[in-house]
Formats: sequence, C-alpha cells, structure tokens
Amino acid sequence: MSCPAGFKRAMIRFENVTKVYEQNARPALDSVSLEINRGEFTFLVGASGSGKSTFLRLILKEDKASSGSVYVAGQNVANISSWRVPKLRRGIGVVFQDFRLLPQKNVFANVAFAMQVIGKSRSIIRETVPEVLKTVGLEGKERRMPHELSGGEQQRVAIARAVVNRPGILLADEPTGNLDPITSMGIMGVLDKINQNGTTVVMATHDDDIVNEMRRRVVELKNGKVIRDEAKALYTSMIPVVGESRRLRDASGEELDRAQGAQL
Amino acid sequence: MRLLFILGEIGSGLRRNLSMVISVVLVTFVSLTFVGAAGMLQMQINQMKGYWYDKVQVAVFLCNDGSTAVGCASGPATQEQQDNLEAMLESPAVKQYINDFQFESQAEAYTHFKEQFSNSPIVDSVSEDQLPASFRINMKNPEKYQIISETFSSQPGVETVSDQRQVLERIFSWMNGASVAAMGVAAVMIFCAVLLITTTIRLSAFSRRRETGIMRLVGASKTVIQLPFILEGVIAAVVGALLASTTLWLMAHFWLNGDLSKQFLNTPFISSTQVLVIAPVLIALGAGLAGISSLLTLRRYLKV
Ligand SMILES: Nc1ncnc2c1ncn2[C@@H]1O[C@H](COP(=O)(O)OP(=O)(O)OP(=O)(O)O)[C@@H](O)[C@H]1O
Ligand SMILES: [Mg+2]
Repeated sequence: MSCPAGFKRAMIRFENVTKVYEQNARPALDSVSLEINRGEFTFLVGASGSGKSTFLRLILKEDKASSGSVYVAGQNVANISSWRVPKLRRGIGVVFQDFRLLPQKNVFANVAFAMQVIGKSRSIIRETVPEVLKTVGLEGKERRMPHELSGGEQQRVAIARAVVNRPGILLADEPTGNLDPITSMGIMGVLDKINQNGTTVVMATHDDDIVNEMRRRVVELKNGKVIRDEAKALYTSMIPVVGESRRLRDASGEELDRAQGAQL
Repeated sequence: MRLLFILGEIGSGLRRNLSMVISVVLVTFVSLTFVGAAGMLQMQINQMKGYWYDKVQVAVFLCNDGSTAVGCASGPATQEQQDNLEAMLESPAVKQYINDFQFESQAEAYTHFKEQFSNSPIVDSVSEDQLPASFRINMKNPEKYQIISETFSSQPGVETVSDQRQVLERIFSWMNGASVAAMGVAAVMIFCAVLLITTTIRLSAFSRRRETGIMRLVGASKTVIQLPFILEGVIAAVVGALLASTTLWLMAHFWLNGDLSKQFLNTPFISSTQVLVIAPVLIALGAGLAGISSLLTLRRYLKV
C-alpha cells in the first residue's frame, strides 16, 4: 500500500472518488477528494440528490466507488474482502432519519442487539448498555418500548445503538430530519458529546439552524461535486459565489444549475 | 452468547413462519419417505437375492406319461436315459459349472408337492405319476444357466430345463420397477420441497429484513446473519426426515415383519433394524438439500 504522506491522521479519505449508479445519469459523486481527520466533526450539506448519502454509503462499503479510492482508518475499502467488511462496519456507527429501531424490543434490548450480534458476552452487555444509555440521556427508560418514546428519544436509542460498540466513526444521515428544532438541538448535544469523546462524526443534514449553531467544518456538495469545504462554517457560504446563493436552490434555481451543468 | 442469540433467532423465525415451516416439514416428510421406500425395496431385493441364489437350482425335468415335448416322443424317460444324464452331469465338461446335483424321483416330487400345498385341495387331484422326476442342479455360478440348458434340453428323455432363478428375476424386476417409480415420485416431491424451502426462507428473510439490516450495519458476520435462516430450513427438513424414518421403521416393523412375513413364510424380509441404516441417509439428504437451497436463496435475497 503506497499512500501519500500524512494520510495516517485522516480517518476518512476520498481520493478522486466518482460514483455512477446508472450509466447515462450524471454521477452521484464526481471526483470527490476529501480528508476527514480523526476526532473531527463534519457537516455534509447540499441539496437533495447532491450525493450526501452516497458519500456515507461509500465509507460503509455499502456501495463500491466507480473510480477513485476510499480510505477508512488508512485502509482502502476496495481492498477489504467481503468477509472482513463486518469488521470495517464494527468500527463505524450509523444513524438515520428514520431511527430503524426494532419495534418488538425494548430500549435496552435494541441497544444490546448491536452487541449480541457481534458476540459480546452478557456481562459486558449488562455493564455497557446502561452506560451508553446514560450518555444519550435515556436513564430510566431501559424498559420502554420504541412506540412509547418520542421521536427524539427514539433517535437517542438509535445513537446509543450506533456507538455502543465504541466505533471510531459515527455517520449520521439527516438524524434530525424528523424532529422539531428543540429536540434536534438535544440530539446535537448528544452527537457533540460523542465527538468530544474522540469519535469522528460525519453528519449529512439539511438543517441550517443546527449547522449555524454548531459552527463546525462544513462540506457542501452540489451535483456530486464538493463546492465548499470550510472550517467553523455556516450552512450557507459567507463568500458569495455566483449561482450558489440560497435563493437559487428553489425550483427555478435547479433549472439554472442544470443549464450550467450542461455547458460544462 | 452468539450461540444463544442464534438459537433465539431460529426460535423466533420458526414461530413467525409456523405454517410455512409445517408445510416444509410435511413435504420433506413425504418426499423422503418415498426415497426411503425406494431404498428399502433395493435392500429387500438384495436380501432376497442373497437368500435365494444359494438355494435356487436348475431343474432338468424328465419325461413322464403326460409329457408333450419333442424330446419325449418315445414316452417316459427310461432308466438308461436317466443313467446317461447322470453320467453327463459327472463329466468334467459339466462338472466345472456345478457344485452338486440330486435326483428327485417322482415319489419324492410328490412328497414335496404335498408339503408345499398341504392346505390346498389341489393335492387330491394330483397323482404321483403326473409329476416329473428331475435332476436338481446346484450351480457354482447361476449366471451359467445357459450352458446347462443348451447341454441338456436336447437330450433324449428330457422334457425341459428350467431355471428357477428366472422366476425370481421376474419378481426382482417388478420390485426394481416399483423402486424406480418411488424414486420418480421422490424426485418430484423433492423438487417441491426445494421450492417450498426457497419460498419459506425468502419470506423469512423478508419479514426480518429490519433486523438483518441492523445486524449488517453494526458489523455482524455473514454467518451470524445467515445461520438462523439456514438452520430454520435445515431444522424443518430434519424433522421431516425423522418423520419419514419413523414411518419406514413402523412399516418394516408392523407390515413387513408382521403381516407380510406371516403370509410369505419362505420370504426373507429386511428387518426393522436394517431400515435404521436408511435414517441417517435421509437426514443427511434432507439437511443437505435444505441447507443448500437456503444458502442459495439467501445469496440472492439477503444482502450481507
Ligand atoms: N441506489 C441508487 N440507484 C440509482 N441511483 C441512485 C441510488 N442512490 C442514489 N442515487 C442517485 O444518486 C444521486 C445522489 O443521491 P444521494 O442519495 O446520495 O443524495 P442525497 O444528497 O443523500 O439526497 P437527500 O438529501 O435527498 O438525501 C441522486 O441523483 C440519486 O437519484
Ligand atoms: Mg440522503
């Protein structure tokens, strides 16, 4: 493995990554090169279809890059054989907009499930799960069923499940998409805490209030290309770029973007 | 822990799909019963061959009063003709093919006949001189019947040369046919079983896609994700195989060694213990089929 110097610090590294789902469609990701360091908190923003979820899926090796390389913890995921993919995924926690809890299992069992399936012993599970539930602020709700929880609480359970095996990376795909602003801020508090504990967090979001509040690194995608990568940034770039103002993101703006894309 | 977890998953899978699982059990049960029945028929044929081929003889029947064969134009066989035949049997050309031979006189033939049909009124209608005398030849190799037949059937005083083996061969070929038919039914039923297992596993995988999706994301190994499904199919098939084995054993125990052996006293039936040899084969066959078809289904329908 010959890798450029300095890659070791990078937890996630994209090198000219292009992802094409359908032959004739425009690429979902278009030669994206990006490094995310260990312990960093990164927002991934951009319009619908800009490629945020695709970016996250490539990290998980849920999909294969059409060209270019994706490195996770220094390892090119293309070189990970299929039987070692589970090991890669143990190092990565994931949460989604729709929580994806198991409806017949209570809070404790939902979180414990993630440990059971990778063969953790019962005593370790009994010890770890309450700790993690405390971290996400769900003390005393171990026996609740998912349908007895609010959306915010359900998302906390999902986060607890994602981090219970202490992954180095937490990927969140619009985790606050179904939640009201105050509940969302609560979730952000949890994610921030997890990040403070050393976990690299990558979060795809449309929620401008959250991004503006948090002031973290922002990577903006548009039509599969990185158009902005700013530290401690806002949801919208403060540097005005022609055709990139928020107003152009509405329906008429889409028309304009596409016309520009065709010219290229 | 992982084992307990897998067992729990299997339990919940079986419960969730109970009706499908029961149909898998029944279809494998029926198909493996047919496979086993075919196997039993083959065992029975071998058993009978082993038993009879030692005893079965070639009989050279001599002419008697009622003979109509060409060789009997001169009437019943004379003592001279009989001695001549005996000399031929002793000659090295023939002797190399036979173990030994006996002469069965008309009187002896009558005695045997009376024994064999002791319960039948036919005995009264047959008299001693209606039955032919014969040389009973015990062959070294029963396959060489043709040589004996060619040598003796054209001799004066010989009515006919009969190979008792041929009678048995007819029975065996009938039994063989039955076992082929059983295999045919078994093949169709096994095909049904495979389709049913495939559908069951597919449904099971679909109904648990949320669990498996999460398992995948948190890094559960392929084995942990797939094994519950595969074992679900395998367990159902093994239960079917056990039912089939039990049925075959009961058949051997109560029918072959019960009713049938009373009806056919001279026939050596396979014992119910011998049938137990088939059981592991059926179980392995059921488990193997279910395992392979589940695995192939999962490969298509369960992303890991
Ligand atoms: N499985 C797929 N097959 C074909 N095309 C796909 C697939 N997944 C995504 N795409 C396409 O790739 C592009 C990027 O999709 P992606 O889901 O990454 O966008 P996104 O930024 O996550 O959007 P959103 O904000 O709506 O979640 C879109 O044009 C989408 O239609
Ligand atoms: Mg998305």
